[in-house]
Amino acid sequence: MSTEEASTRKLILYVAGETPKSLAAISNLERICREHLPGKYRIEVIDLKKNPQLAREHKIVAIPTLVRELPIPIRKIIGDLSDEQKVLINLKVE
Amino acid sequence: MRNSQEQALQSLIDDLRQRAAEAEETLAAIRDGSVDAVVVGGEGKDEVLVIGDDASAFRNFMEAMEPGAVAVDSAGRLLYSNARFRQIFAEDWDRLKGKLLSEILPGPASQLIGKLINPDSHEAAPVSVSFLEKGVERNYLVSARPVHLGTVRGFAVTFSDLTERVRAEAAERAERIANAIIASANEAVVVCDRTLTVTHANFAAEALSTEKLVGARLDAAIPLKFPDATGILDIGELVETSLAGTPLRSIEAFAPMSPGARDVMVSAAPLNISDDGPEGCVLTLVDLSQRKKDERQMHLLMRELDHRVKNTLALVLSISKRTAASEETLEGFQGSFSGRIEALAATHNLLAGASWESLSLRQIFSAEVSPYTETGGERVNIIGVDLSLYPRAAIALGLIFHELATNATKYGALSGEKGSIVLEIHPKTDAPSVEVTWTEKDGPAVKSFSRKGFGHTVIARSLSYSPHGGTTMEFEPTGVVCRIRIPASDVA
Repeated sequence: MSTEEASTRKLILYVAGETPKSLAAISNLERICREHLPGKYRIEVIDLKKNPQLAREHKIVAIPTLVRELPIPIRKIIGDLSDEQKVLINLKVE
Repeated sequence: MRNSQEQALQSLIDDLRQRAAEAEETLAAIRDGSVDAVVVGGEGKDEVLVIGDDASAFRNFMEAMEPGAVAVDSAGRLLYSNARFRQIFAEDWDRLKGKLLSEILPGPASQLIGKLINPDSHEAAPVSVSFLEKGVERNYLVSARPVHLGTVRGFAVTFSDLTERVRAEAAERAERIANAIIASANEAVVVCDRTLTVTHANFAAEALSTEKLVGARLDAAIPLKFPDATGILDIGELVETSLAGTPLRSIEAFAPMSPGARDVMVSAAPLNISDDGPEGCVLTLVDLSQRKKDERQMHLLMRELDHRVKNTLALVLSISKRTAASEETLEGFQGSFSGRIEALAATHNLLAGASWESLSLRQIFSAEVSPYTETGGERVNIIGVDLSLYPRAAIALGLIFHELATNATKYGALSGEKGSIVLEIHPKTDAPSVEVTWTEKDGPAVKSFSRKGFGHTVIARSLSYSPHGGTTMEFEPTGVVCRIRIPASDVA
């Protein structure tokens, strides 16, 4: 097991209020992390409806978007995270 | 220097590639509908634009709905719920949003509703589900309709509360069952509330009152009189005693105002519907009129029987004494006494078979004469229309026929080979007596009784209990002729 995989994943999910896709992304992310990364993740949800300027930090264009900030390098997954395999690959779980 | 320029260029190219890849991914995500908002920058200020319809109007509409309502996506994930739905499940929106409907609803309800929101299913009819809400079972009619929310296809699911209707239907059904039970009871059943107002009454109960029972006061509609020994004054006190917790059973009472003024047997029990004490009283009234009538008839019959037994014993005693006085030997006494008692018994048997109502004269004649010869044959004949006699005359006539037959056998028509007897019954007229004639002929030469014994007394006096009853004996040379007068009042 590498150091990178052993470290806690810091995940930032950018949503737009309670749009259907935002809700789906939150729900999907919580489920995937609960099932595949128990105790190894930290999620921060940023509502860009409330704070649009926060989109600049990670150059967010489409919402929802998940940013894996740690471990580096930063990775982005665009969409509602319904494709579980795609999420797991980007989070380097499988 | 050149190397550092190349490295910077390479880094720029990598960054551009990364951006190009991200741009492509973003466009693909927008195209395939996996994102539903974009960030737009303008005049140095970023703004979020939601793709598709603005769902706020839809949400406002759902919020105003009385039934519980949710919007779910095609996976059954909650996109929105109104206040009523949140109240049903006692959860705030932050805990509900994004959850699957199947995670919120109990198993059976979840399966039923799952069919409604399955895009491949053709189930469209509303389904009834029930689940506990604050520990109380409640019933809902759930229906689902497809909706578009932004870029998402999903369903609007409504939960209409049917609990009160289901409870009302259950209560109505229970009421119908209770009414059917009361109606099917053979005895009169009356239910009253604590104020003695009748709330239920069956057909048998209505027959005890001259007015309509339901809505009337029980003590006015069916007033009852109780025997002093019960210590109960009226039906109101009976109900109060029952409401106080003492069931009362099988108390006899009289209902003077009921049609036919009836004797009844009353039972009263408290009506307990909840734990808050009896709400009324259930009374059953069994009509005792027929039983009382039967008892009175039985007492009458017993007195009548007692009277008849005494009369019969007196008659037997008299026969015994008079026979003893007229017979010279013990054998003679035994023969005469036994014959007379048997004659009496024969008539008694016939009367018992006829419930002591009336007897056919022909039957009496046959019963008394048949021990001596065949009746209805060549030697003994009856002519005339038969008569029906009341017991008093029947017993007397039985004894008379016995004595006549005994004399005929010893001395008259039946003592030889040729003699015969004809009994002629004369028709009943307006006269105070009906005549029957016993005529013997072709017997030995007849002489008047040289010694008039008890047999003659029986023939002469048995019907003398009435001035219109009696006999006349004529000793014709051809044979004895006895004219018997039966009081017309004893002929049915």
